[in-house]
Amino acid sequence: MSGAAISKDSVYLHWAARNWLRILRLGVNPGPARLLKIRKRYPWVSGFLKVNKLMARLMGERRGAYRQATGFVINRLIDALAIIVRDIHRRRDRLIWHEDLVPPEILHAMGLMPFMVEMLGIVLPMVDCALGESYLDEAENAGLPADTCTLPRMSLGLALRDHFPPPLAIVSSNSPCDGGMSSYAFMQKLSGAPTFRLDLPYRFKDDQAVDYYTNELEKMIAFLEERTPGRLDEEHLREICNERNRAMELELTLWDMLRHRPAPLGSDVVFLAHMLFFGLFPGKPQATRLYTGLIDYAKQSLREGGGIPDEKYRVLLWNPATLIFPEIFSWAESEFGATMIMEMLTFNRHPLIDTSSRRNMLRDLARIMMQGPMSQHTRGPVEYFFDDLFFIHEHYSTDMIWMAGHVGCKNTQALLGMMREKCRQRQIPLLTIDYDLGDSRVVTAEGIKEQVRMFMDTVMR
Amino acid sequence: MPLWAGCDVGSTTGKAVILDESGVLAGVIVESTLDPEITAKKALGDARAAIEGPAGDEEFERLVGTGYGRLQIPFADENISEITCHALGAHHLDPEIRTLVDIGGQDLKAIALNDDGTVMEFAMNDKCAAGTGRFFESMARTFQLSLEQFSDLSLTSTRPVSITAQCSVFAESEVVSLVAKKQAPADIAAGAQLAVVRRVISMARRVGIRPAFTISGGCAKNRGLMKLIEQRLKLKVARLDFDPQLLGALGAALLARRKSA
Repeated sequence: MSGAAISKDSVYLHWAARNWLRILRLGVNPGPARLLKIRKRYPWVSGFLKVNKLMARLMGERRGAYRQATGFVINRLIDALAIIVRDIHRRRDRLIWHEDLVPPEILHAMGLMPFMVEMLGIVLPMVDCALGESYLDEAENAGLPADTCTLPRMSLGLALRDHFPPPLAIVSSNSPCDGGMSSYAFMQKLSGAPTFRLDLPYRFKDDQAVDYYTNELEKMIAFLEERTPGRLDEEHLREICNERNRAMELELTLWDMLRHRPAPLGSDVVFLAHMLFFGLFPGKPQATRLYTGLIDYAKQSLREGGGIPDEKYRVLLWNPATLIFPEIFSWAESEFGATMIMEMLTFNRHPLIDTSSRRNMLRDLARIMMQGPMSQHTRGPVEYFFDDLFFIHEHYSTDMIWMAGHVGCKNTQALLGMMREKCRQRQIPLLTIDYDLGDSRVVTAEGIKEQVRMFMDTVMR
Repeated sequence: MPLWAGCDVGSTTGKAVILDESGVLAGVIVESTLDPEITAKKALGDARAAIEGPAGDEEFERLVGTGYGRLQIPFADENISEITCHALGAHHLDPEIRTLVDIGGQDLKAIALNDDGTVMEFAMNDKCAAGTGRFFESMARTFQLSLEQFSDLSLTSTRPVSITAQCSVFAESEVVSLVAKKQAPADIAAGAQLAVVRRVISMARRVGIRPAFTISGGCAKNRGLMKLIEQRLKLKVARLDFDPQLLGALGAALLARRKSA
């Protein structure tokens, strides 16, 4: 059955209706007049109306519980975005711009409203490439080099057009790349907001580094307490960390289920869940509920014989996923019987947080940030990058690695030769996909498909 | 006598190779038309005609299509990517080949081969004409020379000029400017060759250059280009005892024969 024929089935209609209901609830809170004002002030909000199209693309030809899980996670995504839209006005006096490698748990525990600057640069290209591309041009015209990663470039474009809600303060870091750091220098100047930059040490796997970064977090807290109404509530932080631990244990359970062959779910569902849990609402009960729901769907999927019952291949996707072609996951399933099991932005070596003291909580949050995706992979010693890559390959028994060779990621582009050699030594088939994370004008979705087809047709034939 | 055929429909030429059990009976190259099916029929027809004796009237046991137009050859029994076919063709002629660069009319591919001639890895550029046969056509046209004359001209250079434009359209403009500045034509021609050499080497490095190394495609007949590649790589380019432009069609014919066995 073709994707077009199956896309409007009852599962799709169920989740599409729920998504619309969630969007319509914004007409109640913050209310229609306020919503129209928000829509005028922040035109990207209209992009959310295309969420059901995104859902149909991700669902592809999936069936049963796997299809349900895809609808479920998209519904949670739209719920999370709706909360942000609602709070842009309601909590504007507490709004902090933060980079994706700054722990939002601390900002939540300080009673502040974290606004992850990179969120729209991730979501907009997935929903509709054209929504983000004009922001890229804006940043380029303002002087950010055209070969800078599209994620910080798009974020800067949004800031330049004044399409972000104004911040009280900005917290960023020296990760993951120079492009990211330079975009925050622009944003600091544009917004006039006081800015704090966390300094991640080069080697970050020893106690000295953890202590150093924990002290950096303490300095960030002091900075925010001095310049905003936010105050760190240790008990609130403990609640957040405990809730995060619960969600974390569930995520580990889900990851373990992915080792089953055929896998119950593909990694786009897991990636989106992780983005919500880790990037937007860590330590919130909705993250825990999200994972509980996904585990239920995964169990059901296993009872049905797996997400792709005739799974032929298992793929490890490395580097940030192809945001301009998010349906690569469902496309690979229907085209080649290939399940993409895990990818770089999801896999996270996060320890359970020791909540016995403020210092211990901050130390574990420091560890989580330092050893998380991107920090672990795009700076620091190269072993960190390869250790994770080959661990995941073995742990999930993948048959091949697809390296999403985002042209704007110089840090990982520099590793391609080494990656090729290491894959050859291990006899792992490697595909490097030329593309740009958020700019479909560099390589289109069709161009990505053609590269994958060539690889499957020649190397995996 | 059973016959097997491979037909490689490229952007600028169509190629056909016919095999029997003993080896290659015929190989021809024709100009591509807008319709890949017509190109394929013409190439196969000419190849048949080139076979002397009654064998030329035999039906093909199996026909494999390859090249960018392979999906538009309805009478082919199977179509297989040109990457696989070039690799197999090269391996058949020299089993030591581990790295192959195919410089086609409109794309450039670097292929790393396994010991058995299968593809280990590849990299390709099909988005721009830089480093492809189109680039040379454009350069030769600027000098009002044939491709062979252009290649020979570059061999007489003593001081190649630097062509900085990567894009072949811009490079053509740059060459016109250099001609107007009275730069020696041989040095400009060598500069244009070097611009392609840089692209070829850069592409080859993406898959890792392991000897033996060879070049396929029509541009492998460009002596000036081959000489410069050897100089830059400090590596001998293996010359295959076969027309390098026919390597894809040969690989396709070999696959046809293998699959009939």
